[in-house]
Amino acid sequence: MTPRTPPTAPPGSDVVLRVSALTKRFGATLALDEADLALRHGTVHALVGGNGCGKSTTIKVLAGVHRGDGGRIEVAGQAWDVDSYDPRAGRAAGLRFVHQDLGLFPELSIAENFAFDAGYPTGPGGRVLWRGLHRRVAELLTAYEIDADPRTPVGALRPAQRTLVAICRALQDQEGDEQLILVLDEPTATLPQHESDVLLEAVRRRADNGQTVMMVSHRMPEVLSVCDDFTVFRDGRTVAALVGERPTEHDLVRHMTGAALARTIDANVVAGGLDGDDSAPADEQAATTRATPATDADGEDVVLQVRDLHGGPLRGVDLELRRGEIVGVAGLVGSGRSSLLRTVFGEHRPASGSVTVRDPAGRLHGNGDVRTRMDAGVALVPEDRAGEAAFADLTVRDNISVTVRRRYWRPWGMSVGRERADANALVTRHGVRAASADVPFTSLSGGNQQKVVLARWLQRTPSLLLLDEPTQGVDVMSRADIYRTVQEAAANGCAVLVASSDLLELCALCDRVLVLQDGRVAAHVAGAQLTPDHLTALTQSTAGAPAADPAHQGASR
Amino acid sequence: MSVTDTPPLQSPGPGEPGTDDRTTPPRVSRSGAHGGAKGLLERHALLLLLVAVAAFFSLNPASGDIFFTQQNASVLLGNQATVALLALAVILPLVCGYFDFSLGAIAASSSVLTAGLMSFNDLPLGLAMVVGIGVGVLIGGLNGLLVTRFGLNSFVTTLGMATLLGGLVQWYTGGQTILNGLDPRLAQFGSKTLLGIPQVVYVVAVIAVLLWYLLAQTPFGRGLYAIGSNPRSAALVGIRVQRSVWTTFVLAGALSGLVGVLALARSGSATADPGTGLLFPALAAAFLGATAVRPGFFNVVGTIIGVLFVSVAVSGLTLSGASTWASPVFNGASLLVAVALSHYLGRSRGMRTT
Repeated sequence: MTPRTPPTAPPGSDVVLRVSALTKRFGATLALDEADLALRHGTVHALVGGNGCGKSTTIKVLAGVHRGDGGRIEVAGQAWDVDSYDPRAGRAAGLRFVHQDLGLFPELSIAENFAFDAGYPTGPGGRVLWRGLHRRVAELLTAYEIDADPRTPVGALRPAQRTLVAICRALQDQEGDEQLILVLDEPTATLPQHESDVLLEAVRRRADNGQTVMMVSHRMPEVLSVCDDFTVFRDGRTVAALVGERPTEHDLVRHMTGAALARTIDANVVAGGLDGDDSAPADEQAATTRATPATDADGEDVVLQVRDLHGGPLRGVDLELRRGEIVGVAGLVGSGRSSLLRTVFGEHRPASGSVTVRDPAGRLHGNGDVRTRMDAGVALVPEDRAGEAAFADLTVRDNISVTVRRRYWRPWGMSVGRERADANALVTRHGVRAASADVPFTSLSGGNQQKVVLARWLQRTPSLLLLDEPTQGVDVMSRADIYRTVQEAAANGCAVLVASSDLLELCALCDRVLVLQDGRVAAHVAGAQLTPDHLTALTQSTAGAPAADPAHQGASR
Repeated sequence: MSVTDTPPLQSPGPGEPGTDDRTTPPRVSRSGAHGGAKGLLERHALLLLLVAVAAFFSLNPASGDIFFTQQNASVLLGNQATVALLALAVILPLVCGYFDFSLGAIAASSSVLTAGLMSFNDLPLGLAMVVGIGVGVLIGGLNGLLVTRFGLNSFVTTLGMATLLGGLVQWYTGGQTILNGLDPRLAQFGSKTLLGIPQVVYVVAVIAVLLWYLLAQTPFGRGLYAIGSNPRSAALVGIRVQRSVWTTFVLAGALSGLVGVLALARSGSATADPGTGLLFPALAAAFLGATAVRPGFFNVVGTIIGVLFVSVAVSGLTLSGASTWASPVFNGASLLVAVALSHYLGRSRGMRTT
């Protein structure tokens, strides 16, 4: 643990937002532990930190979504105790939020999107003054250098423009010398590189014109390029406040993970690079090397082989999975985690590259659609349970048997008796808490629903199980059950690929973890290095530079 | 060390917009009844009502004399056969969650075309029937293609198709009823009875059994219900969603074509009618049927009970001396009550279980 770096207080006069000793507790967990934050006027301020460091909580407290348990918030000279701070106070004080989901109506015009926020200007009889609205919005768009007509539907804009429209809308009532503070929550997370460049450049220009901006982002190079000041959170505390400094990515990551870990990260980054570095301690070097399995001559137990896979966000993924292995996929939103799984499952057609799957009988199958993939022994538990896995109004029995419907067919009809017996047996075996297999799927809790979805696939004894956020919205008890089930399946020879944003989960469940970055495998982690902190560092840093990496990743295998 | 963050404010999938332009029809509640006296009652409520209504009109002095006769039953069944068959066609796309409003118009087109080919072109009966039904298949296939491949809204697409076909029927017949030049064998088939029941009814019965088998007793039918429940999930468990939905449109089109031929056989003439007169009672029966047997789901047995329930009640009312307006009023009111009741029961169930 590093000693806490006391936040260097920026000169008092130009601080427009100051959060001091903010504390927030969720049940037993301390999400914010006397965190401090100070924004200078006319700067872009980055709030960075790993998962669970308290960034989101801070923003939610500032927005008034959560009420803090202690601390003070000062905005433009006005001060509140957190108990008296609510959404209205934040708005009145001039805080404006643009969340990652922009909250725009894509079918409606830019002008109407503005009007939903500020109200339609109306004339006699409640008639909407369209001309006035369009003129005002056109002026705002010009002022914010957005090249678009107010009548354009928002959905027709480029992604970066959409975000700019959201920003402009949030700041539309900023007049004269009134100073609003713009808070951007992961503005670039879902944007492609060139779009986020456009956006960041525009944000930078706003700041140069005197706009104060706070930005939460996981993408280090971006915050480094655009931000003036940096506040780093770790475990709900402010571990660094870098004002007017020019930190390197390395500095930030070190603050985020703690100095003790810095060395390991260096080691891995180097090991992930082309040639081993002598400075890396021997044991750590070994751990990393072990992570990249050597190529076997026979390759009989290689269940999944992905070669140079392109498509969607994927830009050349190589990976190999063996029987009984549980491999994790870590990466930020937009890194291609889910896309990788879905492409392997045959739902997305790859633009190029190959996916080869070995079915339980040992035959190899090339690219195919979902049906042929299933026949080859692949199973996918998607991330969005309600939207993509559940048959909410059907019974648990229907939800289980849907993957093996053909099994119960006789020329004289479906053998419902056998189907019900099998479903009940699976419900019992997977510890699903349901009165019987004939209750509606929706009557189950999230964790039990997930167990049913798993049971649906495991009854096919797949040779490759793909899990996307397997324990999202799942209670602690069910989570343990699900882990046990997955480990059991792996012990019986099933290869498992788990994509998750829960790094603790990956560390607990997986034999090794791949870190995806910008659609490529940027690093492998295994053994003693498989810790949440280490993964945080790897997912956030860009050290596994994409340019040099793919060639190496192919070679090292 | 905690890494489980309070989840990000929004956690959308990585840049994959879930584009699902499928119509979500205002369908009745979908939680299946299960176990318990209440569930049993709900499943058989419509059947009990049917029996009660039949008993009432049999005992009612105003209608009893004629109502409970073999003759009346024969007329009643014969007249409702086409509606019943069209209702069965309607539920096929509905099971997957798609409306097909054009089925009535397809039946009308098939009827007029079959008659016209015999009357205007002197084609033999068999060929004319094949063309009539074939047109149903073609239009169903086209509808299915527009809805699945091109992702058009089924509600609007089939409404457009229905209007278009209605116009074509007017053009083809010149607004006249086609009476002459029809093969007499067809009308004979339509008017003959077997064991006191019109032959047409047997055709409908056989098809009902086949459809029941298809929907309830095959993996394909199970898949259709899965698509109706959640097409995204269905695609991710290996169900070929588009192909299945397309198939239901084709089957529904074929059945509607057959409805047209049967209607021609029953009436002995083809009128220039856009087919809505058939479609609405059929849709009503389908929705009524979704409150019975397997509540919340369109099903064959429920649909047949629905058709019988409405027709028995209407026949009884007519025999009791009610005016002609009584029939649609009863039809509509019973549908409203059934759907409202089913929605209410479904919701109370949902509240209890979740």
